[in-house]
Amino acid sequence: MSADVVKAKRKTDIGPPNYTKFLPPIIKENYGKWKYHEVPQPGVLVHTSHSGAKLYSVRAATPRLLSIETLRLFASIADEFTGGFLRFTSRNNVEFLATDEGKVAPLIARLKKEGYPVGGIGPSITNIVHTQGWVHCHSAASDASGVVKALMDELYPRFENMDLPGKTRIAFACCLNMCGAVHCSDIAVLAVHRKPPKINHATLGKTCEIPSTVAACPTGAIRPATVDGKQSVEVIEEQCMFCGNCFTVCPSMTMADPENDGISIWVGGKVSNARHEPMFSKLAIPYLPNNPPRWPEVTAAVKNIVDVYAKNARKFERIGEWIERIGWPKFFKLTGIEFTKYHLDDFTHAGESFKRSAQLRHSSEG
Amino acid sequence: MPAQTPESVADAMYAMLKDYAGKKNLKAMDLTKAMIEKFGDDCDKQLCKSAIRILMDDARCTYSYVGGSYVVLNPDYGK
Amino acid sequence: MTDKKYPTPLLDDLEKGPWPSFVKEIKKSAKSPMVQDLLGLLERSYEEKIGHWKHGGLVGVQGYGGGVIGRYSDLPAEFPDVSEFHTIRVNQPSGWFYTSDALRTLCDIWDRHGSGLTNMHGSTGDIVFLGTKTTELEPIFSELTAAGFDLGGSGSDMRTPSCCNGMARCEWACYDTMAFCNDVTQTYQDELHRPAFPYKFKIKASGCPNDCVASIARSDMSVIGTWRDDIQIDPAAVKEYALAGKLDIGKDVAGRCPTKVIDWDGTTLAIDNSNCVKCMHCINVMPKALSPGKDRGATILIGAKAPIVQGALLASVLVPFIKLEQPYEDVKELIAAMWDLWAEHGKNRERIGEFIQRIGLGNFLEQIGLDPAPEMVIQPRTNPYIFYNL
Repeated sequence: MSADVVKAKRKTDIGPPNYTKFLPPIIKENYGKWKYHEVPQPGVLVHTSHSGAKLYSVRAATPRLLSIETLRLFASIADEFTGGFLRFTSRNNVEFLATDEGKVAPLIARLKKEGYPVGGIGPSITNIVHTQGWVHCHSAASDASGVVKALMDELYPRFENMDLPGKTRIAFACCLNMCGAVHCSDIAVLAVHRKPPKINHATLGKTCEIPSTVAACPTGAIRPATVDGKQSVEVIEEQCMFCGNCFTVCPSMTMADPENDGISIWVGGKVSNARHEPMFSKLAIPYLPNNPPRWPEVTAAVKNIVDVYAKNARKFERIGEWIERIGWPKFFKLTGIEFTKYHLDDFTHAGESFKRSAQLRHSSEG
Repeated sequence: MPAQTPESVADAMYAMLKDYAGKKNLKAMDLTKAMIEKFGDDCDKQLCKSAIRILMDDARCTYSYVGGSYVVLNPDYGK
Repeated sequence: MTDKKYPTPLLDDLEKGPWPSFVKEIKKSAKSPMVQDLLGLLERSYEEKIGHWKHGGLVGVQGYGGGVIGRYSDLPAEFPDVSEFHTIRVNQPSGWFYTSDALRTLCDIWDRHGSGLTNMHGSTGDIVFLGTKTTELEPIFSELTAAGFDLGGSGSDMRTPSCCNGMARCEWACYDTMAFCNDVTQTYQDELHRPAFPYKFKIKASGCPNDCVASIARSDMSVIGTWRDDIQIDPAAVKEYALAGKLDIGKDVAGRCPTKVIDWDGTTLAIDNSNCVKCMHCINVMPKALSPGKDRGATILIGAKAPIVQGALLASVLVPFIKLEQPYEDVKELIAAMWDLWAEHGKNRERIGEFIQRIGLGNFLEQIGLDPAPEMVIQPRTNPYIFYNL
């Protein structure tokens, strides 16, 4: 297509459609006028306006990866029950927005019948935010959708009930790029590489810029080198912590390794400012194997942490707040997770995590 | 030096991209800094922005992504 | 179920169980040859425990550098229909509200030109169309824009801003997040579509300190609603909570307050608002009785990111309080000053949080014309290595 034709026909930079086009009348009428909300049952929010109007939101889980057949199903369910109005949440749930209380029960029944469970509000485990994994990503150290499916099949009652001490937010990322920014989650499931990049010297000089490849390494482990007469790079393997940043800027430095890639588990992060300030997740388990299709080691580990937390934490305490109260030694003891040298930080500012006081919770029982 | 126009800056950028092709990838800011150095007070960031837009809209250039977004020659231009 | 081109026993196992299955979703779109090959390729990954996708490259719609992620399979001979399988990011409407008609319009476009698979939504907030060929990109783009949709960001640009549902459905929204999100998205269309930054720049808007869009962890500029005056108390509703007995106001509310500013004597709740840090806990657990004050606005924080390259960061306070009213001229001046500085001096792949750490927050503030404030730090420095400017 010639440039002139393209220019003449194309509409650009219009931005997203204005959100006001998609708001139900009850929201337009009560925008900024909501007074309070209640959660009468799992998966249902009732917002009451200063005007007395009530909005019933019913939340259902989705696997995030959705066929247009399912989106059309959601559209028809919205037509049938909520005047055609629906929305999605920041954690990939779908919400149907009803004005008629009488529609709530049949709507829930319909969603469950179609296989989309209702819940994920309050002190529960809501949907796991996650990345693309083997479905669509070039740097994945594991699948994402499969691990999430296996985990949620196991944790499913925690979605449909509100029986946890506090909100529990789980996130999954399939490499350290963390498209899902899992680093501030109650439980973060993070796929990792554990071997240095394999360098394709035949292609590197042609496909990658050597200075930017060298500059990509956070630990300065990459140096320019001539290999078999070709311009390339070499890696000081002892300095590599397998972050994969070099692969992002240089496709000739591949990280994926079926035998050594796997999954790490992190706990105690949060983003909300409620009570404790936001905090990062901390390492609980450095490595579990990739074991598709059900990742049994990973699901068992996460379920264990959730169960121990559910049993021991106080009302409203999130995992990080609970651990801060009881101390990390007790967390490792209660969960039976082994504390290893990998739990000791050795990157920049590592010393900030060292215990620099004698305030310890000793116990004669060991 | 005559006052620069978006078109003249676009041409100068295009020439620079041809010089660097296969040697170094250039980002929008690399081109902008080079043009301001070349044309001094006759050029500014806004002019460079317009110039890059011209190169993109008339398909002489395109964006590529390799760990960063670069302005590159469009291999299909003129085909 | 559609005829399968490849047996997929490992994936089939993930059709079982109570949680909705992504495999079932993929199979629902299996009338597309692309999706047949996707199933074959994904089953291969499950067998071999390795991904089969390559880096992106030169794909996009004419004139834009953002919005399309190029994706190619490394087994094009075996799975030819996913040899090209690009992602398209479509800018979501603020707050992710849709009508059924709008959803159907999107489905119809994607049905005609792609795999039929989507993410609702991607991590940054966009509607994600998962899998199409290079030749379909321009047709999709023209149909999307005809329907009133446009592409989102990718690469070294402003990424698609996102926000919580704010005033549309939350009594805690301290500013109009959806209006703000839509406004900045429309104002910065050029920065969204034509990458000119050292690296990505994310803007996320949360209406209150509960931060439902995780802006403090995930955005280069985090705008979190807050207030300056007193928490509003409805004493009658407090009494109702006390009588209902589900909540122990002394233990669960006053006892959980991080700055211990709540007094509860069994009948009256009193708050020392001058020492309240606006954490939201008491309001969260007594929504009928307590609500944010009336002098509302936002805190602007800067520099959050995931670990790559120099380590993860939470955002830190840049503007302790701002009214955040349309047309947001003060915020836009701040954004312009930050972008100007960072675009010129940031290194490739250096997020603004890392840039600030490299040049120093003091220098950064000086350059963008903000005064240092004690709200920006947990505490003043403890080391004496001061760069005195005499």
